[in-house]
Amino acid sequence: VSLRQRLLLLFSLTVAAAVAAVAWTVLVRIRTVFDQRDQQETALFVSQFQREFQQRSAEVTAAVDHLAATERARSMAFEIVQSGDSTPYLTEAQTMAQDAQLDFLEIVGSDGNVVSSAQWPARFGYPEPIATQIGATAFLKREELPDGSVALGLFAVRAIRGAEPAIHLIGGRRLDQSFLHDLPVAPGMTIGLYSVNAGDQSLAVFDPKQFVGVTGDVPGAGHYETLINKARISGQPTSGTLYLTADRSDSVSVTAIPLNNQAGVTMAVLTVALSRTGLVEAQRHIRAIAYGVAAGGILLGIAFSLWIAARVSRPIEQLARAAEEVAEGNWEARVPEHGPSEVSGLAQSFNHMTSELVTQREQLVQSERVAAWRELARRLAHELKNPLFPLQLTVENLVRARALPAEEFDEVFRESTTTLSMEIANLKAIIGRFSDFSKMPKPELERIDAKSVIGRACSLYASVGDRPEGPIRCETEIAHEPMPMMADSELLHRAISNLVLNAMDAMPKGGNLTLSAKPAGDKIELRVSDTGEGLTPEECERLFTPYYTTKQHGTGLGLAIVQSVVADHGGTIAVESRAGGGATFIITLPKAER
Amino acid sequence: VYRRFAISVLLLAMTLPLAARTRPRYGGALRVELAGDPWQKPGGIARTLVFDGLTTRALDGTVLPALATDWASADSDHRWQFHVRPGVRFHDGTGLTATNAAAALNIACPSNCPWNAIHVVGAWLVFTSDGPMPNLPAMLAGDEFRIVLTLGADGKSPSPNIGTGPFQVASSANDALTLTANENCWQGRPFVDTIEIRGHRPIHDQWLDVSVGRADVAEVPAENVRQAQQQRLNVIVSPSAELLVLEESSTGALASPQIRAAVAAAVDRSALSNVIFQKQGEISGGLLPQSLSGYAFLFPTDQDLNKSHALRGGLTVGTLTLAADSDGAMQLAAQRIALNLREAGFNVQTGNAERPDLVLRKLPLPAGSPAAVLEELLRSAGQPSPVVADPGIAAMYKAERELLDRHTLVPLLDLPRAYATGARVRDLRIAADGFPDLADASLEDAP
Repeated sequence: VSLRQRLLLLFSLTVAAAVAAVAWTVLVRIRTVFDQRDQQETALFVSQFQREFQQRSAEVTAAVDHLAATERARSMAFEIVQSGDSTPYLTEAQTMAQDAQLDFLEIVGSDGNVVSSAQWPARFGYPEPIATQIGATAFLKREELPDGSVALGLFAVRAIRGAEPAIHLIGGRRLDQSFLHDLPVAPGMTIGLYSVNAGDQSLAVFDPKQFVGVTGDVPGAGHYETLINKARISGQPTSGTLYLTADRSDSVSVTAIPLNNQAGVTMAVLTVALSRTGLVEAQRHIRAIAYGVAAGGILLGIAFSLWIAARVSRPIEQLARAAEEVAEGNWEARVPEHGPSEVSGLAQSFNHMTSELVTQREQLVQSERVAAWRELARRLAHELKNPLFPLQLTVENLVRARALPAEEFDEVFRESTTTLSMEIANLKAIIGRFSDFSKMPKPELERIDAKSVIGRACSLYASVGDRPEGPIRCETEIAHEPMPMMADSELLHRAISNLVLNAMDAMPKGGNLTLSAKPAGDKIELRVSDTGEGLTPEECERLFTPYYTTKQHGTGLGLAIVQSVVADHGGTIAVESRAGGGATFIITLPKAER
Repeated sequence: VYRRFAISVLLLAMTLPLAARTRPRYGGALRVELAGDPWQKPGGIARTLVFDGLTTRALDGTVLPALATDWASADSDHRWQFHVRPGVRFHDGTGLTATNAAAALNIACPSNCPWNAIHVVGAWLVFTSDGPMPNLPAMLAGDEFRIVLTLGADGKSPSPNIGTGPFQVASSANDALTLTANENCWQGRPFVDTIEIRGHRPIHDQWLDVSVGRADVAEVPAENVRQAQQQRLNVIVSPSAELLVLEESSTGALASPQIRAAVAAAVDRSALSNVIFQKQGEISGGLLPQSLSGYAFLFPTDQDLNKSHALRGGLTVGTLTLAADSDGAMQLAAQRIALNLREAGFNVQTGNAERPDLVLRKLPLPAGSPAAVLEELLRSAGQPSPVVADPGIAAMYKAERELLDRHTLVPLLDLPRAYATGARVRDLRIAADGFPDLADASLEDAP
């Protein structure tokens, strides 16, 4: 990953994290504010509801009180007690309820059975145990109706005055949609009343029909089930957030308040729902701003990272490219010396380094050239000195022989001329080898297979190995797949032959000569191994230096020629050896393209 | 002597008004108020006043000649012939003939008639049927078979509501109907000149009108008889004239006779009788009243929830729908029955379902022979009537037992009809069908 990419990533992450942190903080704060507002509005509504509830209770109690004291009720009670026959008053409750504007009214006889019922006239004769629960205040009660439904109401029980035994009136008013309609509902607030059915104590049962709002059905009534059930279980107000649709803005913060009767049984659950549309829209707005800021910040980060890259990473990249060029041999590579002080200092150092390298290389070349000339001179001197000494002795011997008789002189002269001819021939041969080295031809490349090169060398030297001083066994290890390469077969054969002859020389007492060829990726490796004495590391290091030899009478040009041939083919040569373990010369040549 | 003569003359003078008071007077307008329609079927008061049947019933149920003077059966009651009364004219002057009587009967009973065909042979109407028709004369006295002019003398359709009865239509506007006396009535002219009928009038408004003298006759539902009497209204009450029954469908949730029997056993008749119908109804386990059959006490009438549970046998029956054919006490009674059935483990909804499983309704219960009354009851209930060859008590009991064992009709109460009359109404009696015999009524202050 480049410095520019790292900078870009760092800047982007920094900006995004900063924006996210700010946005999260603002969102949390807004949510807290909205929650506090919801709680305040809910508390205000609940207090108003309780006032209204108490007022309704008082109204119901007063209405039933008034009814119980009327002359009509007292007369009825007297007649019932006196005659024991309550049947004439079957419809009395309906009339009285209508007069007192009560939704529910039952007249219960002294035996506890219903005499007359306004809400369910057919229920006469059935027991009504609630008649004994006379209290000062009204209470919540579920009332079954003829159609099977259940209505929730505020009820009060009063005994008709003057009747002994007591005849009771149980009157009530509905807690329903109209009751909700009278409550002060704030904008954005939805209230609902869930009436718990008598046979509905099982919490698994939730009947949406029993859940009414101010205008009838409560939107998304089914979503309230869990919250209402929690309130029913705990008997305490329960709050939560309900998502009515997939749209998050269509959600409400709901508080479910259980309404219990005197025995603590939950008769109904009042729900106060406050729309979260404002909160969600504010959150969306803040998120949109945060996204915008983050996007802008990231863009700024990109721009900044580009600028930083221009200031910092580009000189470093130029430096890296220059270093690569140097590695590839271009020691003339230079980098611009600008940018931050550290980078410009680095560039100056690099440029100084490359210039020093060039200087040192030139000095090295000069010194090597001098060394090579010295070596050449030493070698030439050595090579020429050997034949010159016999020549000098022969000439001096010939001069001295002039004093000898003619026959002896002739004999000496013949011998001397023969020796002179041989040594001169030897000198010519030495000069010829130096001449050959200087006149290495350019390779004529053609497509050949490495197998043929190895095969040719092996076939040539297989018979040579049967030497009396020690047989040499020649082996080949050639890979099966084709190993094409572009090479001059003659030059390459010459190089291989040089290596083979060196190997044979390295095994004066015989041994194994192994010639191998195998592909190595996009290269081809040719190996020539012997089992001779091997080479020391110092010898390995200097082996390819021209005129360096480990032989008694070598010119030191053989491996130099091999290296020259290999280099002309775009390959490399290396040697692997350890003392006493033989040596392996490895020629690596590029594989020809198909 | 003079003194004795004077006392005798004085006593005679005092008795003359009394004698005059016992004699009905002609003239005057009788004002009748009804909760329903005066032309409604069956038993609309206007129908009883404007139209006659071929036969009629005496108070004791005896079948008497009306537009037919005499009749005879043949072929084991498979064929009946009625002789049409000669000289009778409809209100528009059209003479009554066997032809227009047959046309009227064919229109009155387009299908599902007791007979297969009616033939006219001179002045005779001949009824034929594949089965025996032992009660045909009694049946023809029913409201369903009153003779209405449907065939004009010139072949054109006559005006509606033209009959041969003691009164004819004078005017009709909104809910007010005025009938005038038919001077040429074959039975003789009625006493009052006109009868003014006001329909669709609430019961308590009717009572108020009778109390203050704005009406002479008002209806009193059975459940309100005691209340009317408490309000010091003069109430005349008929014998049992209607049978309150619970009809059970033989299909759907009540397809099983055992379930129907469970429903029948769950109904508490005493609550209906004592409370809802204010002790005016007579609890009945049989279709025919005890006074008529003599064996009705043999049928159980008590609520038996244990039996009902046992008959249901723990089976879960779907929600039953229960409808009542009118408002007021009938709806209340339906709700009470629903409550009874809930106690027995049934889930019942009251209301006006399209095809209710249970229907609470009143069937007309005319006077007559047991076999005839039973046949008319079943006909009005739309149920097939068994032909009781032997009208003896044992055969009747057996036939009724078989009927009740089907549990498609559950008799509950025998109910009377009642009417409140004003102070100036004289000689108003209840006819055999429970309706007031206004044709024989007269007014105290008639000129």
